[in-house]
Amino acid sequence: MITAFETWLTQATRHLSRDAATQVRSEIREHYDAAKESAMVHGSSSEEADRVALEALGDARAANRQYRKVMLTSGEARVLREGDWEARAICSRTWRKWLMLAVPAGVLLAGIGFAFANQAVVAQVLLVGGLGMSLLFAAMFLPVYTPARSRVFRAVKWAVMVGIVVMAFWPMLLQWSWLLFSCLWPVAWVEWTRGSIRRKLPIEKWPKQLYL
Amino acid sequence: MNFKGTLPTLILEAVEQEPSHGYRIAQGIKERSKGVLDFKEGTLYPALHKLENEGLVASSEEIENGRARRYYRITKAGRTVLAKDRAEWRRLSRAVTMILGEA
Repeated sequence: MITAFETWLTQATRHLSRDAATQVRSEIREHYDAAKESAMVHGSSSEEADRVALEALGDARAANRQYRKVMLTSGEARVLREGDWEARAICSRTWRKWLMLAVPAGVLLAGIGFAFANQAVVAQVLLVGGLGMSLLFAAMFLPVYTPARSRVFRAVKWAVMVGIVVMAFWPMLLQWSWLLFSCLWPVAWVEWTRGSIRRKLPIEKWPKQLYL
Repeated sequence: MNFKGTLPTLILEAVEQEPSHGYRIAQGIKERSKGVLDFKEGTLYPALHKLENEGLVASSEEIENGRARRYYRITKAGRTVLAKDRAEWRRLSRAVTMILGEA
C-alpha cells in the first residue's frame, strides 16, 4: 500500500534528475523519521506521529517547485549527459581533435582564397561557414575555463552567431526568419538549459561544456 | 508568519555556532522564535541546497545513533554574508520601528 508519505515524496521529486530525486528522498525521509520519533517521544501514537510529521513538511508541490529551482531536473541532467558524450567522442582520438581545428581553418583559408580570386559569393559562404565552424569546433581548445572568461566567450559566441546569420541571409533575413527560428531554437534551448544548470551547480562541479 | 526571503539568513544563523542537521535547524528556528516563524519544513532543504550551491554552507554525512545524517556547517563566505545580513536587518528594523513605534 502506498502511504501518504510516499505520495508526498513522489510529488516532491517530480521531474527531478535521478540523482537529485534520490538525494531528496533520503534527506526528507531522514527528516520525517526524526519528526516522527520526536512526536512519539512526546506521547503521540504512531498514526498521530505520522500525521504530524507529514503536516510539518507542508505542500509537496510547493516543495517540488523549490527543489526544481535549485536541483537538476531530468531535462537538465540529459543535456549534461549528452554534452559529455559529445566531448568524450571528440577527445577520445588525437586525430579527431586536430581535424576539429584543421577543418574550420581550411574552410577559412579557402574563403580568403576565393575572395582574392574575386569569387565573392563562394567566398562569403566559405567565410561564414568557416567562422561558424571555428566557433563551435575550436571553442573547447580555447582557454575559457574560468567563469569570467567563459562569460566573455559566450557573449562573443552569440554576437558572432547573430553576425553569421545576418551575413548569410542578408538581405532576405525577414523572409527566412521562420526557417532560422525553427533551426536555432534547439540551440537557444540548450543554451537556456545550460544557464539554468550553471545557477544550480557549484563552479567546482562544472563540466567543461558549461564554460562554452 | 510570512518571512519569505529571510529563511536563508535564519539558516546561516542556526548553523553559525555548530554544524547541524536539517531537522535540528528547523526546530531551532521555530523554538528560538517561540513558534512565530512556523514554516513548512519541506521548503527548508531547497534553501539549504541553494546555500550550499552558493558556497555559504558545506555539508557532510555523519553517523548519529547508527543513522546517517547530513550535517551542514557555515563557511567563511557564509559568515561574511551573515554579518552583512545582520547589519542590514538591524538597519531595516530600526527604520521600521521609527515609523511604527516600539511594541
